[in-house]
Amino acid sequence: MLVFTRRRDEAIVIGDGIEVRVLRTGKDAVRIGVTAAHDVPVHRREVYDAVRAANQSAAAVPVASLGQIAGRVRLHPLLEPVE
Amino acid sequence: MTPSAALEIVTRFGTFTVDQDAVVTFAHGLPGFERCRRFVLVSAPALDPFTCLHGIDGSEPSFLTLDPQRIVPGFQMPLGDADRRRLELAGSETLLWLAVVHIDDAAARVNLKAPIVINPRRMVGLQVMNADTLYAADHPLDRD
Repeated sequence: MLVFTRRRDEAIVIGDGIEVRVLRTGKDAVRIGVTAAHDVPVHRREVYDAVRAANQSAAAVPVASLGQIAGRVRLHPLLEPVE
Repeated sequence: MTPSAALEIVTRFGTFTVDQDAVVTFAHGLPGFERCRRFVLVSAPALDPFTCLHGIDGSEPSFLTLDPQRIVPGFQMPLGDADRRRLELAGSETLLWLAVVHIDDAAARVNLKAPIVINPRRMVGLQVMNADTLYAADHPLDRD
């Protein structure tokens, strides 16, 4: 891992065009600004990891449970838009 | 225009035939399945009431999904500017929303916190990751 010391308002550049800037520092938290092209997704690590874990669990839902869930799930009817 | 070829989709829930036009591109895959960029949506009586979102690249992940509006009427998730651009939204197109089903503690649940959204006009999709939403990642499906 590359490690930098940055002060407030200083930045690092990753590749061509991703900038990570320290906006504010505090006792336990740092406020960071990320500038990247819109096709570069930027997420909080823990949020991404939680979605990944949920997706991996969802991709492993066994075939046998399809019928079980389908029989128990109660769904609301879709409301047709009113003209 | 030549009619598009049919794709035979083999999932663990069965084998289905879908139109080749039904391929949705997820530019960054889905978290956990980043290398799978192309998915198809399969609706079939055997899957009812679910729609199967099936990846056709690499490990070919299959998800059971539901329209979040059928779980929580009035479900709404705001989209940020970056997501709107990734979905190639021009205006207020009708979007297709899917909540992914998983099983936790022997109970069926849906992830309303990180729904999948597809722009059917452009056939591009993404999974919304919104840290601030109040919707739960493990919203129970069983109402017993």
